[in-house]
Amino acid sequence: MQVYLPIAEMSVDAFLLMAIGFGVGWLSGLFGVGGGFLLTPLLLLIGIPSPVAVASGANQTLGASVSGLIAQWRRGNVDAKMGAVLLVGGFAGSVLGVQLFALLRRIGQVDLAVSVFYVVVLGTVGGLMVMESVRAIRRRRSATRRKLHAHTWMHGLPLKTRFRKSRLYISVIPPFLIGAGIGLLSAVMGVGGGFMLVPAMIYLLGMPTSVVIGTSLFQVVFVAANVTLLAAVQLGTVDVLLTLLLLVGGVAGAQFGASMGTRLRGEETRALLGLLVLGVALSLLWGLLRRPENLFSAGPAW
Amino acid sequence: MRRILAGALLGLALAGAARAQEQPLVAALSRTDIEVTTGFTGASLVVFGSTEQPIGPGGDEVIVVARGPTRPVVVRRKVAVAGLIWVNGPSARFAGVPGYYVLAGTRPAWQILPEDQRQRHALGLDALPLASTGARSPAFRRALLELERDSGLWIEDSTPVEIAGSRLFFVRLPLPAEVPTGDYRVEVLLVRSRQIIAREDLLFRVDRVGAADRIATVAQVQPLLYGLACIAVAALAGWLGSVLFRRG
Repeated sequence: MQVYLPIAEMSVDAFLLMAIGFGVGWLSGLFGVGGGFLLTPLLLLIGIPSPVAVASGANQTLGASVSGLIAQWRRGNVDAKMGAVLLVGGFAGSVLGVQLFALLRRIGQVDLAVSVFYVVVLGTVGGLMVMESVRAIRRRRSATRRKLHAHTWMHGLPLKTRFRKSRLYISVIPPFLIGAGIGLLSAVMGVGGGFMLVPAMIYLLGMPTSVVIGTSLFQVVFVAANVTLLAAVQLGTVDVLLTLLLLVGGVAGAQFGASMGTRLRGEETRALLGLLVLGVALSLLWGLLRRPENLFSAGPAW
Repeated sequence: MRRILAGALLGLALAGAARAQEQPLVAALSRTDIEVTTGFTGASLVVFGSTEQPIGPGGDEVIVVARGPTRPVVVRRKVAVAGLIWVNGPSARFAGVPGYYVLAGTRPAWQILPEDQRQRHALGLDALPLASTGARSPAFRRALLELERDSGLWIEDSTPVEIAGSRLFFVRLPLPAEVPTGDYRVEVLLVRSRQIIAREDLLFRVDRVGAADRIATVAQVQPLLYGLACIAVAALAGWLGSVLFRRG
């Protein structure tokens, strides 16, 4: 069934979009991330222009994360104070990110920038995740425990605050910077940033795993909302019909994924997610290195 | 469609016969409004008409050219940085590129018109006046023609103008799903002994209608409202999903 997307100004198969939504939703339910990092490259692959793919991807991430956030909030797994600090940083970062995106579009390097960001960020995150989870699986066998809490230079920073739910007493500067960095990346890559935020909160901030997913969803929902709004106002590239079709499949897929995810162990899940992230990074890298079939491309002038 | 067309041709033939003395060329479009709905997958429209003198081999010739709304286009060439990564390099900016261009004739225009006439009336992709700024290489112009042809929005002599009887002609213009919205102009030219002796200008519009139009309009006119609505809709869909599936 062909559907005409009013903002992308093209006709796409609605069932294909729902299937993509379902697949990405299934994986995101399985791994507890928004799935934007898979969605945007897939949209680019089926020919959606990158500004529309990025903006609508952020919009879809918002919808997909809301249901997860509601469930986590009910269980009391959201550190709202930490979330708020991350969020302030995230807003600052996404405002910067949308400006950066508009600039890249003017000089004609959006596709390159989006690909490079994906390759670098996904490659790093995926590599770290695989390494960490393999080490964790090994450690499980040898049964040695690591130190629960290590003091680093981060604990010497000013503006220290107590984050009760996270059982932390740290400066607000590191979470602010993490939030800002991820906000910037979400605006350029069209992702919520969950797949970066979750490891950052665990390894950089040392938050307990139980509150990490809920707090990350809290941040993702608001950052994605901000990116959507800024993209709609500044770039005019949010396609609500595209978003809705993706969400129809995505919401259903996420439920199946989540019920399946409970049967997997944490380390294996992280290793699989890491491999998936690495795979996406490698395929995008290949796209940059391969000689393009047509050296020329045409686009609207700004 | 066929019956309507046949009826229209017949009606036109009768009308044409009555007016034949004063008008060498009469032409019309099968429709003047193309509506782009959310289910739009492309459309087509027929240009038809009649002439005073017989057309076809040995007689007069008919050329039909349709042009869509123009917009500026940037053509970029990828270059390998450090022989490794392919990035967009030099670019040329073309102002006033028609988003749709179809040329059809009872015979190709270059066969029936002198070269200077053909260039002056921009009949043929190679005769399109495309002024560019930026990179100078003619490769950019060639690439633009190739890309537009591949997209199916620029068509030159793919199907000839067909002749029915000896004074009626018609040609179908395909409008793929990607057609830009706006005003289109169709020129019908009558050629006799390598001279354009009559012409008729016809207009049609491609418009978004219904939901597609409302969404695009709100997004353009009220971007803030539209952004807020997108957020609300996505959040609602997510919430609805979690409720539906918890019960199920």
